[in-house]
Amino acid sequence: MVINRKQKISLIIGLAVIITAVIIWLIDGTYVFTQTKVLIEKKDPLFGTTYKEWENKFIWGLDLTLVISAISIVSSSFFVYIFRNKRKSLDEIKN
Amino acid sequence: MKSKISILFLILFTSAVIYPQGFDVKAKGIQKFSFKDDKGRNQATFHSVTPFDEVDGLTTKVNGIVSFNVSDVKNTLQGEISFPTESLQTGITMRDRDMKAPKWLDAERYPTISFKIKKVTSIQNLASNKLKVDLLGDFTLHGVTKEIPVEATMTYLDESPETEAREPGDLLGVTANFNITLSQYNIQNMILGTRVSDNISIGANIVGTNKF
Repeated sequence: MVINRKQKISLIIGLAVIITAVIIWLIDGTYVFTQTKVLIEKKDPLFGTTYKEWENKFIWGLDLTLVISAISIVSSSFFVYIFRNKRKSLDEIKN
Repeated sequence: MKSKISILFLILFTSAVIYPQGFDVKAKGIQKFSFKDDKGRNQATFHSVTPFDEVDGLTTKVNGIVSFNVSDVKNTLQGEISFPTESLQTGITMRDRDMKAPKWLDAERYPTISFKIKKVTSIQNLASNKLKVDLLGDFTLHGVTKEIPVEATMTYLDESPETEAREPGDLLGVTANFNITLSQYNIQNMILGTRVSDNISIGANIVGTNKF
């Protein structure tokens, strides 16, 4: 199959989005699930013990990576189809 | 015969003095502590780790009553600590909802998770106001009660300007750790062992007051 310039650009953008999502997931700790808060340890000054508290923090998970990758694949496929060489098909109709 | 009894009495008396099994603090006699805390400082945590996932959970709704004789904690410690199953959180709303559903903890049917002290098996004085205790007690989860060992550290703080900033009265700080096996509490699920470990580590960090 011969792909034209626009189709090539659509594929490259789609691939770039997937790779970016995977890199962010790797940097954020490769968690399975996306989290919006994490447990942090704090010290109790009275007893000298540590206790935990929730802190708002966004962590990119594998679930979000997969969703974004799926959207990227669908979008790229759509644009590859839209940008297909229509002139060839018109020539075929004339003949 | 009389001298033998005297020697035995002397040995027992000396043992009681040299090897105290309680706190050496201002308070005397039976003390009762409540762990009711509206500020959410009293907490229990759990930790599950598998090759595929790591889950940390927390509840800040721990409550309970504990009492003991200050100078003889080993033989007089009793009480119960509990928290609502519904209060557990793992940081992910969907996972929290699944955790409390019938196929896991079934919070609606079994609304409370608790630990009731049965006996102290060993005690060690770490300081005049600090004890390391090994407990045996009944842990109830998912409608099943099992006797489990728990390691705990108890710290007694006499009332002072520093403690009054936290709560009135003498304060008792307790940290505890133990492990449970979920399948022993009739919690069976196909992802047990893969995304959720069958062996769960549980910790508690609670502060109680004797003025309630």
